[in-house]
Amino acid sequence: MSPADVRITAEPIDNGRCKFVVSEPLHSGGVRRFASAAEAQGSPLAEAIFAIPDAGIAEVIVSGNLVTVVKSGTAAWPVVGKAVGQAIRAALAGGQPAVAPKPAAAGNASDDDTLYERVADLFEHDVNPMVARHGGRVELIDVQDAVVMVRMAGGCQGCGMADVTLRQGIEAMLQQHVPEVKGVVDITDHTAGSNPYFAAAKK
Amino acid sequence: MRLLLLLPTATYRAAAFVEAARRLGVDLTVASEQPSAFQDANPAGLVTLDLSHPDHAARQAHAFARAQRAQQLHGVVGVDDDTAVAAAAIAAELGLLGNPVAAARAARGKHEQRTILAAAGVPVPRFTLHRLDEDPHLIAARAPFPCVVKPLRLSASRGVIRADTPAQFVRAFERLRRILSEPEAAACGEPARHALVEEYVSGSEYALEGLLVAGELRVLALFDKPDPLEGPYFEETIYVTPSRLAGSAQAQIAACAQRAATALGLTEGPVHAELRYNERGPWLIELAARPIGGRCSSALRFEPGSVSLEELVLRHALQMELPSLERERRAAGVMMIPVSRAGMLREVRGVEAARVVPLVEGVEITAYPGQVLVPWPEGSRYPGFIFARGDTVEGVETALRAAHRHLEFVVDAD
Repeated sequence: MSPADVRITAEPIDNGRCKFVVSEPLHSGGVRRFASAAEAQGSPLAEAIFAIPDAGIAEVIVSGNLVTVVKSGTAAWPVVGKAVGQAIRAALAGGQPAVAPKPAAAGNASDDDTLYERVADLFEHDVNPMVARHGGRVELIDVQDAVVMVRMAGGCQGCGMADVTLRQGIEAMLQQHVPEVKGVVDITDHTAGSNPYFAAAKK
Repeated sequence: MRLLLLLPTATYRAAAFVEAARRLGVDLTVASEQPSAFQDANPAGLVTLDLSHPDHAARQAHAFARAQRAQQLHGVVGVDDDTAVAAAAIAAELGLLGNPVAAARAARGKHEQRTILAAAGVPVPRFTLHRLDEDPHLIAARAPFPCVVKPLRLSASRGVIRADTPAQFVRAFERLRRILSEPEAAACGEPARHALVEEYVSGSEYALEGLLVAGELRVLALFDKPDPLEGPYFEETIYVTPSRLAGSAQAQIAACAQRAATALGLTEGPVHAELRYNERGPWLIELAARPIGGRCSSALRFEPGSVSLEELVLRHALQMELPSLERERRAAGVMMIPVSRAGMLREVRGVEAARVVPLVEGVEITAYPGQVLVPWPEGSRYPGFIFARGDTVEGVETALRAAHRHLEFVVDAD
């Protein structure tokens, strides 16, 4: 497939965060999160995104065909997004994997593994039984550098109150039960939700 | 600091307000009319309030505040028409900054609002109030044509129909009757048994976004609505700012909105006013004690550093220092994507092409596959929004239209 055939859909969440849904898979080994250019070394896609000038890229998260980019700069997403799109196409056209596998003993891996188990236990016994009342499900994707990555499904995917569930529900429970967690990132493609529990209407 | 945020479950506004609170480092207690799945797990952060009955909501909020004494509330914000009244009632109950309850109620009811504004000399269309069980033929005999038939409570121009002749009027009245008999519309009680009939005011339409601070209206933005809203239905489409209207006319519009807010007794918080402007000057169509609806606030950014409208609203409610309230220098616009055809949405084509139109910043499809799309006047849900930003308002408007042309909503017809 040529780079021109790759379809990329940008979905800005706010001024600081944007998801890019790519028609081709970029990384099949779970989720990889890069919090700095140094961490991105060896992963051409993340390296290229961190190198975008004047964007203030703060974080890149790659999972399957989804790239979530967090920036601190004031440049608009249409500008930064074009550069991200070029980086994605270049990475797919390159000869090596766009994202390197997660190093076995990188950084705080053992701490993250411990956190993962505790968060998974919380999700299984508390979080998911709660969201199941609304036909929802929250999948724990990974824990990297004490940041929890989740994907919402069922009634939560595309729900008008998904942000409230994330911040006031999941994040609050994590703060209470696993206070070592530093943050939660939602990598859900909410536009693909077909059965949201609460659907929005203009008011 | 902790803020009580009144978020109805059908709002588009959750993400923007939650993000604004996060950016400000403000703790939230989110109140909705239906319980969150996490309410028991986070009793200080989530609460269920009877948002459609403000007095009851205020008593519930009082009980909540007593139970959560350790998590003191410092402000309250409503995000739509109903919660604006509930926010006022709660503010009064808890001693927080807010509008007088009577003022918020007056802004909420279309008939009460027009009555007060007309008495205060604010230019509003001539109007009469009618029960839905009246004979529309008799009303038509006295109606000023062209006229507009309106419900008292529905949002987003739902149920608003223009009639140029008695025969059109009778059909419009009967159609509104059917809309207001639907369970979710009828649930608002007595207002759903009435209709407003008012003269149609010609002219261009504008939307003013403002913030009331101690009774003084600070204009945040004036939007042009370049598509003529001449009926028979009044589905919104494009908003662009800054306005191309002459400065003197803009000043007249701002003064008109200020007079309306003062007449209603509104003193604090966001206002969203819809006005028409013709050779006789500005006409106040409606003024709501809430910020702009839908996802439209994303079109607005303020100096310094891309402050969002929601951040301004939260800062004001919490009596935090306000930044300049100056909108960014660039032109901005939003298109509420119209519903072109009724039926069940199967897919939306052309989104990628729409997103890469120069100046387009975002295309948000909020309808989901399987959702039933309902055109106006029965409908009130836009299937999505397009945002653009650029150096000129003309360029922004052109970009919005160009992006919209790429979109195709594939619908299984009824």
